[in-house]
Amino acid sequence: MANIRWGIVIDLRRCVGCHTCSVACKSEFLVPLSVYRQWVKVIEKGQYPNVSRSFLPSMCNCCENPICVHNCPTQATFKREDGIVLQDPHRCIGCKYCIASCPYDVRYADPMKRIVQKCTWCHHRIDTGLEPACVNACPSFAMTFGDLNDPESRISKVLASNAVQVLKPEKDTRPHVYYIGADEVAMRAIGGANRKEKPVWWLWVMGNFVKKEHKG
Amino acid sequence: MESGLNIIYNVYHTPPLEFPIAVYFYLTGLSAGSFLLSTLAYGFGIEKFKPLGLLGVSLAVILLILAPINLIIDLEQPMRFWHLFPYLNMKSPITYGTFLLSLYPLNAIIYGYFMYKKNYRLTKIFGFIGIPLAISVHGYTGFILALSKARALWNTALMPFLFLVSAMVSGIAMMMIAVAIKQRYFSEDKHIHDNIIFDLGKILNMTIFLDLFLILSDILVLQTADTEAHHAAMLILTSDFSPMFLGVEIIIGSFIPLMLFNIPMFKKRIGFQIAAAILVMIGILAMRYVMVIGGQSIPLS
Repeated sequence: MANIRWGIVIDLRRCVGCHTCSVACKSEFLVPLSVYRQWVKVIEKGQYPNVSRSFLPSMCNCCENPICVHNCPTQATFKREDGIVLQDPHRCIGCKYCIASCPYDVRYADPMKRIVQKCTWCHHRIDTGLEPACVNACPSFAMTFGDLNDPESRISKVLASNAVQVLKPEKDTRPHVYYIGADEVAMRAIGGANRKEKPVWWLWVMGNFVKKEHKG
Repeated sequence: MESGLNIIYNVYHTPPLEFPIAVYFYLTGLSAGSFLLSTLAYGFGIEKFKPLGLLGVSLAVILLILAPINLIIDLEQPMRFWHLFPYLNMKSPITYGTFLLSLYPLNAIIYGYFMYKKNYRLTKIFGFIGIPLAISVHGYTGFILALSKARALWNTALMPFLFLVSAMVSGIAMMMIAVAIKQRYFSEDKHIHDNIIFDLGKILNMTIFLDLFLILSDILVLQTADTEAHHAAMLILTSDFSPMFLGVEIIIGSFIPLMLFNIPMFKKRIGFQIAAAILVMIGILAMRYVMVIGGQSIPLS
């Protein structure tokens, strides 16, 4: 087991947006209603007839430098040697500070167990030699799971031969979920958020000095 | 909607920290502020603030016993709160709080006991031990927000200072009200000696200016920092949280009190001073609410 560093590459050129990964995850862990360990963000852009849909499967990034582990006051969340970030269900007091710290919103307070839970990259399956449930279930082989430290593994070859992106690299978390061909707006959290623009009741008083144009 | 962009499906998990956390920040701020005021007389020997001593330390202890109750109620597993001691993670800002929230009330109780016994030498010693504790018991709450770097509204080095100054603002305002109530209803002559209230009002006036300056610099930098920070600034300036931020925190909580303290027509009247103090306390509670709840309302996924 020494010197293994697991990683996931998601090739969005192959993703068809079927949500099978999310369903597999829900059934693997019996994740309660209203919370998700893995989900597919779907965006639609453009004006008819020039329109497209983009997908972004989201899960724990199992960061090299996880903020949740840094901030957990009871060491309930920890990083294994192979890089997987896990949550100790017996030690967690449910202060939810890790949820507030995670830049990817992948942690949640479990409404049934009353602790914080997260995507575990199916460590119970990995330890017996299987792939994570979402990777296993993907019908279009968009997801690749493997050892990043082994240059002969399929994931290393995919990473070496493609241009990849990660989510929010500016947070210095060094994520280990890589995307090929992800849409820029889908990766951005605030981009075109589906909130309505509200009338600004005081801007006309103050002039337009705060109305900057990069809302996108 | 720019160029027809639409989010068809996405998951937003419930914001983790809720109103009890904002109340906790408010109560520790009041506690730290009233403790620091009580040391003005018994630590630094400013005689005119003597009436604040015992009152300030009693309020500081009571508030700091109430404050952590909010934290424990907010836990998903309240009975496991003791995990904070044996399994502590020294890198987490909550761990600083675990120790500060244990040591600070103990020190405040000892300090209050010696003040009650009129042992002024020991009072002074424990007062001076308490000053850094009081500053850090509230400063660390700023670090709790600042170090969870996912949230653009929180992730600024100004946060501990913003929290400390607003703690002083709300603490002074609370002491003005408390002194007035004590002198009006619980003293022998049932009369408000207004000197001390006007003195506190002058200090409060200055700290509100400092608070406003910190808020202004925070907002100015947020405006120009990056996309998320800009979004955070717009959220509190123009969108969902602007009535709470601009209306309650800035106008009701700062501008109107400043007018009451500085316009000659109002500033000689004790009633207006007390009214200003009440408005300031409401404004700081709104500031805690905007920071905690507003900071989490920016989508991350």
